[in-house]
Amino acid sequence: MDYYISVATFAALNVTLALGLNLISGFCGQVSLGHAAFYGLGAYAAALLSVAGLPFVGSLAAGVLVAGLAGALVGFAALRVREDFLAIVTMGVGFLFLGVVRKQSWLGAEMGISNIPSPLEKGGYAMLAIGVAIVMLAISLHVRRSWMGRAFSAVAQDEDAARSLGINVPGFKIAAFFIGTAAAGLAGGIYAHMTQLIVPDAFNFVQSITILAMVVIGGIGSSFGVVAGAILLTLIPEMFRFINDYKLLVYGGLLLLVMRFSPEGLAGIGRSLARRWGLR
Amino acid sequence: MSAMLAAQDLSISFGGIHAVREVSLAVQPGELLGLIGPNGAGKTTLLRLLTGVLRPDRGRVIFEGQDVTRLPLHRRAQLGFVHTHQIVRPFREMTLAENVMTAAEPQLGRRPWSAIMRVDANPARRRALELLHRLGILDAADKPAHSVPLGYLKRLQVARALALSPRLLLLDEPLAGLNYSEATRLADQIVELNKEGLTILLVEHNLGEITRVASRLVVLHNGATLAEGQPTEVMSRMAVRNAYLGVDADAAPAAALADA
Amino acid sequence: MFYLELLLVGAVWGCTYALMALGLTVVYGLLRILHVAQATVFTFGAYLGLLAANQFGSLWLALLVGAVSAGLLGPLIYRFVYQPLLGRPPFVALVASIGLLVAMEDGFRLIFGPYGLAFDDNTWFATSFSLGGLTLNGVQIAVVVLSIVLLTAFALFASRTRAGIGWRATVSDPAIAASFGVRVEQVRYLAFSIASVLAGVAGVLVGLLNNLVEPGMGGVISYKGLAIIVLGGLGNVPGTLVASMVLGIIESFGTVFVDRWLDRDAIAFLFLIIVLMIRPQGLLGKAH
Repeated sequence: MDYYISVATFAALNVTLALGLNLISGFCGQVSLGHAAFYGLGAYAAALLSVAGLPFVGSLAAGVLVAGLAGALVGFAALRVREDFLAIVTMGVGFLFLGVVRKQSWLGAEMGISNIPSPLEKGGYAMLAIGVAIVMLAISLHVRRSWMGRAFSAVAQDEDAARSLGINVPGFKIAAFFIGTAAAGLAGGIYAHMTQLIVPDAFNFVQSITILAMVVIGGIGSSFGVVAGAILLTLIPEMFRFINDYKLLVYGGLLLLVMRFSPEGLAGIGRSLARRWGLR
Repeated sequence: MSAMLAAQDLSISFGGIHAVREVSLAVQPGELLGLIGPNGAGKTTLLRLLTGVLRPDRGRVIFEGQDVTRLPLHRRAQLGFVHTHQIVRPFREMTLAENVMTAAEPQLGRRPWSAIMRVDANPARRRALELLHRLGILDAADKPAHSVPLGYLKRLQVARALALSPRLLLLDEPLAGLNYSEATRLADQIVELNKEGLTILLVEHNLGEITRVASRLVVLHNGATLAEGQPTEVMSRMAVRNAYLGVDADAAPAAALADA
Repeated sequence: MFYLELLLVGAVWGCTYALMALGLTVVYGLLRILHVAQATVFTFGAYLGLLAANQFGSLWLALLVGAVSAGLLGPLIYRFVYQPLLGRPPFVALVASIGLLVAMEDGFRLIFGPYGLAFDDNTWFATSFSLGGLTLNGVQIAVVVLSIVLLTAFALFASRTRAGIGWRATVSDPAIAASFGVRVEQVRYLAFSIASVLAGVAGVLVGLLNNLVEPGMGGVISYKGLAIIVLGGLGNVPGTLVASMVLGIIESFGTVFVDRWLDRDAIAFLFLIIVLMIRPQGLLGKAH
């Protein structure tokens, strides 16, 4: 039973991470290959404060803030560079985060931070994570329907045309980064308290790519698609245990196949099927 | 009467070529100013300097008394200084109505945190449909932009720009690519807009239409102003005709023969 | 003396980066694709080269096998991964490339084991040379010499041969190049071959340098390669070479002086981010 609760919690955390990245890259069109760094920032901030004695809620909030502000900073930096560069810069942010954390003894260096206080039971974390995931989904859907969603769409499709129509492109990009990374920070805080041990390697490039895979395979831009993608990619290695050994081979292969044959991911497949069966 | 838009001694060079050389011009409130010139005269570059896509090496752009030379594009649009593009840039995945709606609520376009609060798009949609109707493209309102012909897209651009309630509209070759009747119709609509009080600066290649609709013409040649004045008067000047016929070293003997 | 040694080590690293980055910038110049999966070709060449060396005892053979095997794999990647995606937005090709990289890295791990393989008899590594107080091993010399040879060959190719000129024309303007009779598809295959051969050689050399070939070795150098081509100006060949050397040297000094705060791989990206904030077009790129 404990095992299932654990898996459910991870699935929920992944949903939150994926929805956050979807907002940045899917809604607003800003490629981000370093999302795990914000997951890590939230985790480390929350862990440090918790170990220092701050109550649970406070630590979580700090994680959200640190990650969100860092995201806004990256968004601000992203304004200066062209789209191709953005992919590389965000990749760089991820490596930079790792490179710094690995070396700082006060951050635990390679060994990470351990003995993080855990105020909740396993079931408690599951409920918290699932609650956060649901809230994030609601936020995603709301943003999509709102004027922010329209502006994001314009920025994603043609940034310069959007500018000429008076849309505050810089403001919207930074807002997208802030919301997406703050969500990642919250997930990070929960993760840290749940596992009670965090190491730098949990937030490396492979983790960023895993989150990206969830978004892409689910269907970039589609909130429900991304939820499905996140749940699927969390469950499959658990359900088919032997896959765990080949996890990256499978993820990489899936990314390749999806890009080649169905770039709109599961959501796209869902839509074509719905059309075919006359539901649209 | 002070000018709505004034360019003062704008200059810019690219790699040694002076694309625009100390150009000054003024757009008076309420007029329909035409900017013409042969290929390579620097019209597009000048327009880009005026709209802010390019920063000049020297000179200033003043809009309604405010120096906007360093002002970012989206802020200029919010001030009422709007332009359309020569090569149409619709949001391809959106419908025509959605395209216009993007511009219909400038306050929300400015503030992300206000934008996240608002979901109701009905007023914007009503406005969009009105403008699409005005430009005669209401029938395609719910079709995606990538599926409609160029004539529609050109008019969509104008509708989108109008959604911003501009005080000054810069149109970059709005008639290019249109057939005769489409061009005439759009030109007429532009005149209508001007009559209703919208100040317009029109860059055009289509000499027939522009001489018909503009109240004043400015001719650009080799990056500098060549002539200015009433359309028929300007077009009859020898210097302007020579510029268009490309009188240069190679053609000089032929031109001399033609004059003889 | 110490600084000279650092400079030399940095220059050697810079040469390996140059071999990798040149291929990346060539591919970007032609197709606007960030060929992250170049890492795959790099590692593939390294493994096959090592196997050849351990089997037949010749390091020169290792280089040859590495070059040829990589040179064959590269165009295959173009044909099956990138070519079908040419009409799509660049994001699609980038994600596909990342997918291939991640999958192949795991593939190498499964086939060759996670801990890496070593050269049985790395004579070059074991041989030392003294040059005015500095000690270099055979591999470091080989890196520098081979890099110079290969890069010069590339320069001659680009300026003197028909194929090279055809390539440069295609980078400038594919449509015009095509109307002049340049076979654009052939140019692309050729570009991938060249980029991959260079990567394969680099793979064997880095393997010899570290006396270890492991599944993840291509990834890091590929990511740094991306940072390098941005710094040098995307598609700008001389810029890429300069940026490679600069980065190698900065890393070398960096690992000594900033080791307390930052690990080696992050230095490249810190440098990149700082430069881009000051000059968004890169060190040698052209302004927008």
